Amino acid sequence: MPKCLVCYKWTLDEQDIKIKPEDLSLDVSRAKGKISDFDRNAIEEAILLVEKDGGAVDALTYGTTSVKQSLKDALSRGPGKVYWIADASAENADGNVTAKVLAAAIRKIGPYDLILCGEGSSDQFNQQTASRLAALLELPCVSFVSKLSVAGDTVSATRKLEESQEDVTVKGPVVISVLSDINKPRIPSLKQVLGASKKPNEEIKIADLNLKPEKLLPKAVCKSVKGFVMQRKNIIYKESAAADNVAKLKASLTTEGLC
Amino acid sequence: MNFDLTEEQQLIGQSARDFAKQYLEPIAVGLDQTGEYPKAVVQALAKHDFLGLLLPADVGGAAAGFVSYVEVIEDLSRYCGAVASIVNNHTVAAYTIQNWGTAEQKKQYLPAMAKGELLGGFAIFENGPMPGVGQDALIATKHDVGYVLNGKKAFVRNAGEAGVYVVFATTDPAAGAKALTAFIVQASAVGVKVGEKQETMGLKGCPVAEITFENVVLAETALLGSLNQGAEIAAKALAVASVAEAAQTVGIGQAAVEHAAAYAKQRVQFGKPVAVLQAIQTLLAEVATDCHLARLGLRNAALLIEDGKPFEVEAAMVKSFLVRLGPKMLIDTCQVEGGFGYSETMPLPRMFRDIAGTTLLDAPGDFPEKLIAANIA
Repeated sequence: MPKCLVCYKWTLDEQDIKIKPEDLSLDVSRAKGKISDFDRNAIEEAILLVEKDGGAVDALTYGTTSVKQSLKDALSRGPGKVYWIADASAENADGNVTAKVLAAAIRKIGPYDLILCGEGSSDQFNQQTASRLAALLELPCVSFVSKLSVAGDTVSATRKLEESQEDVTVKGPVVISVLSDINKPRIPSLKQVLGASKKPNEEIKIADLNLKPEKLLPKAVCKSVKGFVMQRKNIIYKESAAADNVAKLKASLTTEGLC
Repeated sequence: MNFDLTEEQQLIGQSARDFAKQYLEPIAVGLDQTGEYPKAVVQALAKHDFLGLLLPADVGGAAAGFVSYVEVIEDLSRYCGAVASIVNNHTVAAYTIQNWGTAEQKKQYLPAMAKGELLGGFAIFENGPMPGVGQDALIATKHDVGYVLNGKKAFVRNAGEAGVYVVFATTDPAAGAKALTAFIVQASAVGVKVGEKQETMGLKGCPVAEITFENVVLAETALLGSLNQGAEIAAKALAVASVAEAAQTVGIGQAAVEHAAAYAKQRVQFGKPVAVLQAIQTLLAEVATDCHLARLGLRNAALLIEDGKPFEVEAAMVKSFLVRLGPKMLIDTCQVEGGFGYSETMPLPRMFRDIAGTTLLDAPGDFPEKLIAANIA
């Protein structure tokens, strides 16, 4: 019966983010938070595993103070307890900082047989947390997982790669990162939503993780985030006969590498 | 006054939106075309506790409160008004049993209603000018061990699918509506005959039919509330239902204006998207504003219901506001989409039919304006 931990990120819902036309900067003033999409798959997979074989699921998140808004949402999706770390360092944390904080927290609250993450976050999609976490905890890492099962301490996974599929087995404990097609996250029922406030949550102070201040400084610094606008060339062939227009269009598409 | 939703209410709204997107969006067009009752979806609604949302925990309900309820109804309506109608009619029947039923009645019906094993229907309307009046009036005649029902109820929603109906009948034909009395009638009772499903303008998929009662024998224990208390019960239950219907109207209006706004951004005329034209912006802005103000009004009424305070005047105000502006929301959004919006390949005609159903049916027992005017200090 595996003891599972799911690491999740509380991100802004990209549907609520507007791009300011004057400088393409992001207007997030009306954006609501959500549990990152792939992390919902990770939570669902852990819950499916323990529903089938028994065991327990905890959740862990690291973010700014807004992360507190995620607790009931996370608990309504099935975990029995959520640990949370709210610290200003999360505002600019890169994959390196995030993994160090999560690893320190797991050493404190663990051990766990399975540590699950989403393949990447909805906002940055750096795909670094699982692999860095595994390295820091000196555990094996299985990424791009689209199918997962556990028998005793053996974890079997199907990895969906770009042009192939790989079936692997590994002895736990192990860090797993899942793809979105591994499952369809359930919609919490109303009783699960209302029952979430009765489940425990525990704050972990970053000061209690024995991390030196320099460990919380990102090595990759994000200077700005801007929207992307497709620049159209607006080339119109309309001067000559239709056959010439078609020929020019074909030549143009060929030049652009589109046909 | 705080109109902010609590964290739980927001999460419940999110669950309803996710549910509607997953279960209702794929079937909405088909329901409108076939009118087929969405049995599998109703079962899924029950599994997610939406059918027992208002009921207390001791009968298996979620006890989520009326503010959550209107959030859910609005979100379901954004994708399919008919399914929201099924939920609303079931819920008003359950609400009536919860509020006026005996302990035995609650124990007998509410756990199954909360689980969705028993769908509820609310039978108040008749073909005459008001319940208890006219040749088809449903009459309850006292007999040795209870009552015998004879007559008809009209426009009963969830008819044929419900397992239990809250039915209003007069116990004194001479007194008409003044002697209205509520009963709980099982669909399986001998003499209950559900008529042909009626074709309706909108909200197709929520079955509507006439029910005939022929010598339906009821035990004394079928009486809901006290003798001749039916008018009071019906007025309160319909006022509650009208707030949920307002949420339906707002949900459909919101879906329409979001569709029209998205259309306006991609529809290019005169070399630019029509969304930049002031005439289009005015139409969109007015509908969005009407939706927003109506939502605040219905949240206010819902909060009063949840807190057990008088709410009928506020409910009447929301109803009056939306009876005037609900259909206009669809006229204006269709106007934004022009000829394409009028096409059945687009969702606005379905929404037009549905919003009419939410504003034309189930008004409180009297004109809402009469109640509002009488309560101006």
